[in-house]
Amino acid sequence: MSQNGGGGSAFGRIVTGVLGPLVFPVIAIVLSFIIGAVIILATGNNPIAAYASLVEGAVGDPLALGRTLLYTTPLIFTGLAVAVAFRAGLFNIGGEGQIFMGAIAAAWLGVSLGSLGPIAIPLVLAGSLVAGFLWGAIPGVLKAYFGAHEVITTIMLNYVGIYFAYYLANNPLRQKGPIPGTETIDFATRIPTIGAALGRANYGFFLAILAAVVVYLLLWRTRRGFELRAVGLSPGAANYAGMRLGLNTVLALAIGGSLAGLGGGVEILGVYGNMDVPWVSNLGFNGIGVALLGRNHPVGVVLGALLFGALTSGAQEMQFATEVPLELTEVLLAVILLLVTATKLVELIVGKRARALAGARLEEGLGS
Amino acid sequence: MEELLGTTGSILQSTIRNATPLIFAALGGLFSEKSGVVNIGLEGLMLIAAFAGVVGSFFTGSALVGLLTALGAGLLFALIHALMCITFEADQIISGTAINLLAIGGTGFLMVTIFGAGGTSPRVTGFGSVAIPLLSDIPVIGAALFDQSLIVYLMYIMVPVVYFTVFRTTFGLRLRATGEAPEAVDTAGVNVQRMRYYGVALSGLLAACGGVYLSMGLLTAFTENMTGGRGFIALAALIFGRWNPIGAAGAALLFGFALAITYRVSGQTIPIEFVQMFPYVLTIIALAFFGGRAIAPAAIGKPYRKE
Repeated sequence: MSQNGGGGSAFGRIVTGVLGPLVFPVIAIVLSFIIGAVIILATGNNPIAAYASLVEGAVGDPLALGRTLLYTTPLIFTGLAVAVAFRAGLFNIGGEGQIFMGAIAAAWLGVSLGSLGPIAIPLVLAGSLVAGFLWGAIPGVLKAYFGAHEVITTIMLNYVGIYFAYYLANNPLRQKGPIPGTETIDFATRIPTIGAALGRANYGFFLAILAAVVVYLLLWRTRRGFELRAVGLSPGAANYAGMRLGLNTVLALAIGGSLAGLGGGVEILGVYGNMDVPWVSNLGFNGIGVALLGRNHPVGVVLGALLFGALTSGAQEMQFATEVPLELTEVLLAVILLLVTATKLVELIVGKRARALAGARLEEGLGS
Repeated sequence: MEELLGTTGSILQSTIRNATPLIFAALGGLFSEKSGVVNIGLEGLMLIAAFAGVVGSFFTGSALVGLLTALGAGLLFALIHALMCITFEADQIISGTAINLLAIGGTGFLMVTIFGAGGTSPRVTGFGSVAIPLLSDIPVIGAALFDQSLIVYLMYIMVPVVYFTVFRTTFGLRLRATGEAPEAVDTAGVNVQRMRYYGVALSGLLAACGGVYLSMGLLTAFTENMTGGRGFIALAALIFGRWNPIGAAGAALLFGFALAITYRVSGQTIPIEFVQMFPYVLTIIALAFFGGRAIAPAAIGKPYRKE
């Protein structure tokens, strides 16, 4: 439903065609930084100094850049996990539990297959992928065949998944000694780092990019992907065309789960080497912001994850240099998410016509 | 026998304590959803209010001021959700998720700014137990029902009050109609957007009562992320209870019982992690087998745009 209004020149149409999808994210990002500046002022700090140190800490030198890539990697996976489900008209808020299932699978397989050396790496990651797939399939089945809304079941399964992973880490997989957590995986079975200059950044980043490419090909170059998107855009029409809603619902959430699960495996093999109790949190939830910021498109997800990763990376430098608590970035990310679908707000700022050009794509991305 | 009655009484008491925040949040969710706005931000609203209550009480030494601060904070953030969903037509589930993330990040940020460190806040004056004379002397159920915090007594009052408001007043009729058939309500001359603002605002106030009970009734301090999914469980209770205050309260009691026994079962018989996941598993089972086909208000989740 494009409302071109008749007046647009060819050049104008090209500009809005390219810039259209950027309207919502750019407005959300700019506004959130303005709100962030007000918050920084309120705590008695200088916003310009704080943001300068944030940028410095994110991309200021190779080590900072490496840290940004390190934080970006899991967010690409969890962002894709949300985006795939979204394209099929489903909310996957279960990335948190899915990444834990993938991580604990990797922590287990990484140790038990460790004697195989580097050959074990793909096997371990395949295990993470399967664990995430199965965990993601559960809310899919509950939605498709029992009518339980995926928003609540995926959230509940986060808690169940995290406690289950902790049970395994505390009992059958527990390392010797006083510190709770699994045994540490041998370095031969870890994902190698890219280079000393980039610090701990590892090849997991390229696996994440590869995952984004695969998701693109799946959604736009295969019959299954076409079905998933059709179900998301118009379940009624898809059903009429003979597509099985139940199967596509289960698959969308399971594929999403497999991506987050793979992300968990990459974190264990690339960064942590084992699962401590407690382990990292909020990667799954921040994936929602990444996906929405990236308009549920793989390219957008990578860009969104880079932004979120850079903010997380720069936050430490900001806290060190200006005493602004690093939790500020969590607030910024939440505000971005709050604003990124605000249709009328965007109309208010850029006018109705520009919004209409950007908006058609938004609805496609929201799958409803 | 006496021991058994004692145990029953104390489990019942603990069930009511754990159900109280769920019931408040579910009643809040009811107002919002009846008006046509999904509020998965209840979790965040509770967390923000739990924190604001502790801050208010910390600086004044008055639990009542704490409650008022919490109500103010709950209302403010509910209105942000309302502004996004109703006026700016943002996606309701995305906006609610953002409120939840804002609550986690914001309270974490303010813990450092105000108290100097994350984790747990200093202890503050809270709402301790007040035994009601005579009633609290009834065997078994007396202490369980009538030796509780003032906020629990407020909950006893709110369940029938919400029921009456939603099903027996003009306001309630308009609110329900707004969630079912906004066009008809609009035609009848009632402002749809205003009714939805009322619904979401009430959800903020009620969720705030639930949050403040967590930090100033059950405990007397704020702990980061202390809501632990209770806002989501409350939403499940609302669905399970068929969008009826009495039904939702009943479902919340069931989930409250599940939470209560997690504190009782020691890790020796069953691994502690399985005990901890029990309330969440129960919520999923309840939704899948008993709540799945429940009928939500017809216009829920959709922004209303005047033609």
